[in-house]
Amino acid sequence: MRYFKVIMLFVFIMGLVLGALVCQTSQLSAGPQAKLEVIPAETFLSPALIRKPVTFKGSGFAPKEMISVEMVLPPGLKMKGITEGEDVGIAVGTSDENGNFTAAMQPTATLNWFFQVGWTPLTRPNFKEARPIPPGVYTINATGLDSDRVATSTLKIVPPPKKK
Amino acid sequence: MRKKCLIFLSIALTICFSIATLSSSSFAKEVAYLSLADYTGPIAGLNVPADMGLEDYIKEINAKGGVDGIKIKFIGIDTRYDVARAVSAYKRYRRTKRLLMVNSISTGIGKAVARLIERDKRAQLVPGDGEFQAHLGRNFIWGPAYQDAFAASLDWIMADWKAKGKSGAPVVGFVNWDSSYGREHLRGGKEYAEKLGIKLLPPEFFPPGTLKHDVYLTRLAKAGAHYIHAGGVDPTPTNVIRDAYALGLTKKLQMTCGYWGPTALGIGVHAKALEGSVITSFYERGTDAIKNKIPTDLWKKYRDCSLEKYNEVYAMGMSWGLTYVAGLKDALKAVGYEKLKADDMYKAYQRITGLDRLGIQGPCAYSPTSRRGSLEVKTYRVKNGKIIPITGWRKAPDAVSLHKF
Repeated sequence: MRYFKVIMLFVFIMGLVLGALVCQTSQLSAGPQAKLEVIPAETFLSPALIRKPVTFKGSGFAPKEMISVEMVLPPGLKMKGITEGEDVGIAVGTSDENGNFTAAMQPTATLNWFFQVGWTPLTRPNFKEARPIPPGVYTINATGLDSDRVATSTLKIVPPPKKK
Repeated sequence: MRKKCLIFLSIALTICFSIATLSSSSFAKEVAYLSLADYTGPIAGLNVPADMGLEDYIKEINAKGGVDGIKIKFIGIDTRYDVARAVSAYKRYRRTKRLLMVNSISTGIGKAVARLIERDKRAQLVPGDGEFQAHLGRNFIWGPAYQDAFAASLDWIMADWKAKGKSGAPVVGFVNWDSSYGREHLRGGKEYAEKLGIKLLPPEFFPPGTLKHDVYLTRLAKAGAHYIHAGGVDPTPTNVIRDAYALGLTKKLQMTCGYWGPTALGIGVHAKALEGSVITSFYERGTDAIKNKIPTDLWKKYRDCSLEKYNEVYAMGMSWGLTYVAGLKDALKAVGYEKLKADDMYKAYQRITGLDRLGIQGPCAYSPTSRRGSLEVKTYRVKNGKIIPITGWRKAPDAVSLHKF
């Protein structure tokens, strides 16, 4: 009986310590549920994305906060400048007084993270060194940098249409 | 039995506390420095050697036991010059324990991150935008503002004009990237030209990545420019001067550059075209940089025993490190390690006024009323394929105060 009490006490203390650690790392915030829409939700990689970039629309964020839009890289996908396991920031925006935001990918982001171009010493993109990301469904997260609210959606990259 | 229970409980508690201690990663006393850099993108040519200088200096400090036993952790992030990536990287690292300083290697990144820096009560280093001096905040520029350095170039132009026995004032052309950086020079620089009586031609702006600059140069030459000031980050100014040389303009007029003008990078490729060009810089260049033993010894120790691939911005990076260490010492003196927060480093940077940076650049000018890294500039000329000094250090004019921001 005494052994049982000691073991229970041990389990209780362990629970407290682990609970405290979990609280340290996951700072969940209260508030409305944040939502994210990717426009278009499906696309193929082409230079047209420079002129008409992928855009993100979100709601449910805190008013007037910065929003970081990130693409989650699937395991095994290597990206220039990104450490494995790290998400890559692809757009940034600021929410309005109602917590809504719109952010489009800038040309540098499209070139760096979708096409993975090289850069010449003349600061021109070098498409000879490009390694476009493979087709697939990519998770996109938008995070409010004041509220820590996160909204998730997906972007589907499909193979380019075959030339007729 | 009771004794056994107590021993068991003690062991269990020890294990629990060990887990808690290990998870907080507090094995040793450590502070952090975050560089939102460009290692593989458009300005990697200068950013890579600059961050090498900083990283090597930090290695050297850590190898000697750190600052009062505190090690510095260098976190270098490759943003590829992209604002979204930089903001996301800052988000990832902003909760790093004792992250005392962030260096944003782009005016655009600096402006985007500034809001978060303010919210986190941290400080950041930013290139040379005069706005950060006009509106004092938590953003410290590396040297004098772009417009200050441009005004110093105009001073040199005026002196050169007079030294050639010419009366009145010269006509000056300005060509730079079509970006906030490119236009920044004129926010106060234009007013300074007016003050000197210099006729500044309508500026020419071109998109970064432009292959040939003939059209802009020709327009300025036809408008009667006696001097053309070429902007952009090396190798862009090198390439602008290469085009001026090909057009035969370097025989007719004088090319000048600001502090991102030709370094060893440009000289290595277009030495002939650059001959005679004039560079006004806040950090040591060319032969001066090679003669400065402390940074070159550091380079030899950590990178290459020869100086063949040495770029002078390596020393500029080391200067960031010198400033960080001085700030850290000051902050530690004020609050000690246990209470040390990023805000203490922000306060410390305002107290290290006059810090000597081993001749790499002028004394530190940060203070409660100044966000300029230093005030002095030196002018150099490309001669026989080398960048040699033609003036001593002198204080750059305060052009920021001439503009209404």
